[in-house]
Amino acid sequence: MARSVWKGPFVDAHVLKKAAKARESGRNEVIKIWSRRSTILPQFVGLTFGVYNGHKHIPVSVTEEMIGQKFGEYSPTRTFYGHAADKKAKRR
Amino acid sequence: MAVGDRDRLICVGAIAGAFGVRGEVRVKSFCAEPEAIAGYGPLVTEDGRRFAITIRGTAPGALVCRLSGVETREQAQALKGTRLHVARGRLPDLPEDEFYHADLIGLTVQDTGGAVLGQVRAVHDHGAGDFLEITGPALARPLLLPFTRAFVPTVDLARGRIVVDPPQGSDEAP
Repeated sequence: MARSVWKGPFVDAHVLKKAAKARESGRNEVIKIWSRRSTILPQFVGLTFGVYNGHKHIPVSVTEEMIGQKFGEYSPTRTFYGHAADKKAKRR
Repeated sequence: MAVGDRDRLICVGAIAGAFGVRGEVRVKSFCAEPEAIAGYGPLVTEDGRRFAITIRGTAPGALVCRLSGVETREQAQALKGTRLHVARGRLPDLPEDEFYHADLIGLTVQDTGGAVLGQVRAVHDHGAGDFLEITGPALARPLLLPFTRAFVPTVDLARGRIVVDPPQGSDEAP
């Protein structure tokens, strides 16, 4: 069942604090967080988080399409090294 | 991309075994779009054999293909485990700021001061943008960097290097 609307999205308070601090500083940094359960909010767009996967912090560059998802969805806990073949990477 | 680099072979698939009794093979494609494996011209094996490939259909987890010169099931079965390659020069050119993983992997990584940090070990994308995994003796553990202009200002394929601007991550616990 979906979370009740009146409760609002869940975000750990320390994630909000770190995001606000990073936005104020305006520096190029990865905000390390362990809170995989936190919801991605609109104010996180444009920031880069390092989301812990139990082993390392996976960089997650937040975009508008990701709002409402949880951070953990973008930081898989199992790594698969496939073949490079013709796969492409786009520098944003 | 360096001139000599165009001949570098890139593994685009592997033969998983025979399919049926007419010499068709099951091919595991490593391409982003599996069917693209047939679009790069003849495929080369590690021992130098060349095969023209035609896709005939699909099987669970593989493509069913016909390889030139393979007419019987025995011939097809003998190829099991063979890796299929294509020359790097056969891959189409990409627009600016788009790179093949195969070109990025292995590049030397320098910081903005010119110090060598290591090499690109892998390129990942878990849905939140591509990022590079960098390993090297100068790094205690793999460095993961978002593949953005801010963190990777220079990609110099001709010289085989990238310049990165490692971020200041906050190490404190929540």
